[in-house]
Amino acid sequence: MSETVKRNNPLFWLIDPLRSTASQADAAYRYSWSQMAWMLPLAIGIAGLVISAVGWATNSEQFYFSYLIGWAFCLSLTVGAYFFVIIQHLTKARWSVVVRRIPEALIWSFPLLMVLGIPILLGMHDLYHWTHHDLFDPASEHFDPVLAGKESYLNTPFFLARVAFYFIFWTFISFKLYTLSIRQDNDPDPSIPKLQRKYAAVGLGIGAVVTAFASFDILMSLDPHWFSTIFGIYFFAGSFMSIMAVMILVSIVLQNNGMLKKEIKLDHYQDLGKFLFAFTVFWAYIAFSQYMLIWYGNLPEETIFFRHRMEHGWEVYSAILLIGHFILPFVLLIGRWGKRWLPYLGFMAIWMLTMQWFDMFWLIKPVMEAEHASLGFYDVAAWLGLFGVFAAAFMYRFSRHALVPQRDPRLHKSLSFTNS
Amino acid sequence: MLNQIASEVKATMGIYEAQEEALYGIMAEFAHPGELLHAAGAVREAGYRHFDTHSPFPIHGMDKAMGMGNSIVGWITLGGGIVGLTLATWMQWWMSEVSYPINISGKPFFAIEPSIPVMFELTVLIASLSTVAGMFALNGLPRPYNPLFYSTNFLRVTDDAFFLHIAASDKQFDLVSTQKLLKDLGGKNIETIRDSGEED
Repeated sequence: MSETVKRNNPLFWLIDPLRSTASQADAAYRYSWSQMAWMLPLAIGIAGLVISAVGWATNSEQFYFSYLIGWAFCLSLTVGAYFFVIIQHLTKARWSVVVRRIPEALIWSFPLLMVLGIPILLGMHDLYHWTHHDLFDPASEHFDPVLAGKESYLNTPFFLARVAFYFIFWTFISFKLYTLSIRQDNDPDPSIPKLQRKYAAVGLGIGAVVTAFASFDILMSLDPHWFSTIFGIYFFAGSFMSIMAVMILVSIVLQNNGMLKKEIKLDHYQDLGKFLFAFTVFWAYIAFSQYMLIWYGNLPEETIFFRHRMEHGWEVYSAILLIGHFILPFVLLIGRWGKRWLPYLGFMAIWMLTMQWFDMFWLIKPVMEAEHASLGFYDVAAWLGLFGVFAAAFMYRFSRHALVPQRDPRLHKSLSFTNS
Repeated sequence: MLNQIASEVKATMGIYEAQEEALYGIMAEFAHPGELLHAAGAVREAGYRHFDTHSPFPIHGMDKAMGMGNSIVGWITLGGGIVGLTLATWMQWWMSEVSYPINISGKPFFAIEPSIPVMFELTVLIASLSTVAGMFALNGLPRPYNPLFYSTNFLRVTDDAFFLHIAASDKQFDLVSTQKLLKDLGGKNIETIRDSGEED
């Protein structure tokens, strides 16, 4: 670690591993808004979590599922940011440098998510059917030969070890990418871009496998009989789409408060909008690939996933997901005008983030109540609670450093980027 | 009337018709891309519409300076996509429901689920083919002959020279004032191009 960047007090690591460098940021790239930007989400987050705690006291199973939905939503944003930053480094992308600090600040959410994930571990018995020991006991009346065959993979110690490994890996790569970029703000060391590319390459290859298996373990194993090899890509598609929405929203909020007014141009928004559109379509492509193969194969252990989501009221939620996550955004985002009209694009970004949460809800909630479709008050409370805390930590961390990677060698290309 | 519409449509493709005495237009050379960009904007502001710029490489901002606006090729793509989607849906329905129904493990003869890949592929195929065809048509391509080739100086356009050409078919075109405008903008080697439609 060089002179220019100092490590933070370890107690503070969950929020930001580095001391603030805001005072060394160029005046144009300095955060100049009130502390409300993180205090307000924090207040909403705490309120949501308090309500969720009440929900836990009254119905703990409901709480665990609602909490997992909100947590998976926050994880998907972080995973999306992780891959976005990596791809920008590996492709030496020029257009995105002015908005890259947003996902860079977001990837340091992995440690926080690890801590926020503790309630999920406490609720594993309610969430994950395969944690019930009698399933594996041939003498028991609950003996399940299919799950008994999966016991060597689906058992609690191995699950915990895997999830720990995923987070350690994500955190390690994120730490490197985050600190290198902040260091570059005030350190002209020419080897930094090369190092960033190196860690990005490792983070892409292994990270792809890690992310796929994380989605298998955390989301797919909720329904332990069911399996789908494309599930990791499904999770990635939604994640990558969400980070575009986040970048659009944060940019609009910053510009409305007088920051980066000249730096982020309509041309950047248009490209972010193109990606938002593209990954809405990509999500549908992957989701449909999964659906069609299961429809064609018509095997009971595979079709059960969709059967649970097409009966007892869940068919309405499935239709909302199809229309709201793909059909309407496809029409609404395809035009050039919509990507260059900021109030509209901001609305679409909020819409798509809501749909990403709804997608997580659709994946997780039917596991709890296949017989009775319901979107409850506690589902929303846990979502806003977790997302509030998550967003507050992000905004606080983001405000502590320059708002763009101010010494990135490709910054000037991004500043003069046009998209006619 | 029809002739006039046809020549207006051709003008949007960059194909201008020669006027009286085979007068095709006036061409001027500019020293560097910046000058050409400025000249294009000034010519546009002076009210000219039938003009074109020629350079060895694309120049950033030229579309805007020339007032080209957005291409309509996207609408051609949309049309192609709708045709492809309709064709694929109809084709699969007719084949499996009407022409040759086969019972495969009790599945419906025609169902939307297995038909979507073909619907998607045919939509993309016809949309992309019509995009390419539409792009060629809107640009008036292929066009092996251009009256500007009468100018020997123009041969340098693929190497190191930048040209602006104002067609005689423009409403504002006037041999004297147009020439003066190009000269005022810094144009060199100003030439009057005549297109007799014959070889030299």
